[in-house]
Amino acid sequence: MIYADKSAGIIVAGATGRQGGFHIALMNEYAKTVGGAGVVAGVTPGKGGQVASGVPVYNSIREAMADIDAEVSVIFVPAAAAGDSIMESANAGLSLAVTITEHIPVHDTMNAIAFAKLHDCAVIGPNGPGLLSPGEIKLGIMPSHLFSRGNIGVISRSGTLTYEIVDELTKAGLGQSTVVGIGGDPVVGQTFSDVLRRFEEDPQTKAVVLIGEVGGALEEEGARSTDLPIAAYIAGISAPPEKRMGHAGAIIEGGEGDARSKIERLRKMEVPVASRPSEIPGIIKKIL
Amino acid sequence: MKFLEHEAKSVFSETGIQVPRGFLIHSADELAGYLEQLPPEFVLKAQVDVGGRGKAGGILMADRKNGIENAKALFGKSIKGVAVKEILAEERLEIQHEYYASIAVDRSTKEALLLFTEEGGVDIEILARENPSAIRRASLPLLMTEIPPFMLRDLLGGAPREVGKVLQSLYTAFCRKDAILAEINPLVATPAGLFAADAKLIVDDNALRRQGISCNRDMTDREREAERHGFSYVELEGNIGVIGNGAGLTMATLDLISFFKGKAANFLDVGGGADQERVMHAVRLVAGVPSVKVIIVNLLGGITRCDEVARGIIAAGISQEVFVRLAGTNEEEGRSLLSERGYRMVGSMEEAVRDAVEAVR
Repeated sequence: MIYADKSAGIIVAGATGRQGGFHIALMNEYAKTVGGAGVVAGVTPGKGGQVASGVPVYNSIREAMADIDAEVSVIFVPAAAAGDSIMESANAGLSLAVTITEHIPVHDTMNAIAFAKLHDCAVIGPNGPGLLSPGEIKLGIMPSHLFSRGNIGVISRSGTLTYEIVDELTKAGLGQSTVVGIGGDPVVGQTFSDVLRRFEEDPQTKAVVLIGEVGGALEEEGARSTDLPIAAYIAGISAPPEKRMGHAGAIIEGGEGDARSKIERLRKMEVPVASRPSEIPGIIKKIL
Repeated sequence: MKFLEHEAKSVFSETGIQVPRGFLIHSADELAGYLEQLPPEFVLKAQVDVGGRGKAGGILMADRKNGIENAKALFGKSIKGVAVKEILAEERLEIQHEYYASIAVDRSTKEALLLFTEEGGVDIEILARENPSAIRRASLPLLMTEIPPFMLRDLLGGAPREVGKVLQSLYTAFCRKDAILAEINPLVATPAGLFAADAKLIVDDNALRRQGISCNRDMTDREREAERHGFSYVELEGNIGVIGNGAGLTMATLDLISFFKGKAANFLDVGGGADQERVMHAVRLVAGVPSVKVIIVNLLGGITRCDEVARGIIAAGISQEVFVRLAGTNEEEGRSLLSERGYRMVGSMEEAVRDAVEAVR
């Protein structure tokens, strides 16, 4: 398990929105089954004093921290204010800001990540499903019933494709240590190499599945940075150039970041790459 | 969204970068009104967003005698498949030297990547391959409001200090416009100072609203229609329609289609919370593409209600065969709703794709 254990109190920013309220309930349901601290406060400016899914709402993270103990935030606030919410989390002393929000302007993300770094706050996302460590903690929106506890780490730029692959792993008897959705934007806080560094220090994790897609070269950078056994899948082999494939970051630009050359570079590093998601459990069993 | 050359130039000139004197024309006749204001020799540049525009015949030299004739010829052309609708008629520069300068969002450092070379005017990708040491680079956190002096000195090397002012202005434009790329190639030294002879600007799609841009020109009509429903949509060339939830899963579905030697007609990501209404619109949108013979619906999610999805598919009432893979809540109900009406519901995405590819063979 990496980033946070069950004892970490969670603050949900954007608690009074539909998404925020819904997922507070699901995160707390999960916390109950594993005996975790769960969501201890919600934050929405101007809505202090309200209650969201049974959790007290404060006007600011700082105000909440005066009353309760929290270490991490999960951010659901709308795109225009989400960068601000990341900075507020860091400034209040939280160690992790998990950002679910999609469509944040990339300059806002870059500024917020740089600010968070100054305060030693790690940012996961934006535009991702968060993370889940089975039996420990759920931070975000991943559907927990597909997960099982074990020693496989998963890092992914995607949401539902991650669930697909986690489901395959679980069915094959391969439980997970932590599953991290790093987000589908071109610029994200924790990249493959950052998460891999955490997995290296985690005694529970024995092998890692890396789920990438077209755009950029962060998958290769990650694979190069680690000694852990990894299996990879890269989505977008049929993606045309210069077209954004759903994720802001999933675009082949200036002839760079296409799936074929990514896969080729990974294979050169002797990383086995699955040509279909269903091949991943077989590859993992081989490299364990 | 990509700005056209003349738009990028007007953005850059607002931050103090000199651009050649020029006029935007929409027809050859319009040029007549500007001939007196242009120097005797000038250049006609098609305003199309394609790479290698010059080599593809998108740039013509002209003078007062042949200007209108040349403009007529250029308006009749299509450059790499893009029709010429606007031309920038611009003064010709007296070139003493050409530089290259660009600022881009760097995924790896999460900062602005500044590139500068004294060997401008060439394709930067080729220069990067053949003489990478000629390109100087620096990484700047966007929290900085300007490029610090040491970094400018490092970038400039032997280039004159005036070039530094241009880089500073380019950085201002980059920040002000929420750019993911701002590029001047070439930046031309002339007896009258430095000029941006060409300009490139790409603005972050997620920042279009606050930049006051209401319509993303990079999209096709169908892509825009999809966006109004909150879908991500990309048109492809095959005959199998694809609807999925989540970009990664939808891409993986396309990849499976090509794995089984089929061809996808499109990419459509319905996004989160696929309900009856959204699914119906998605199915109708994809079914409306003439080349689509069958449709795969691949939806996976803890919170996706399969009965809602099933109703959406049925409500769409389309003629093509639909292969449905659904996982989520109320799976049984969704399954029976669909099978009652003769739709095929399969257990895995691989099965859905294999069956669909088989059906169009």
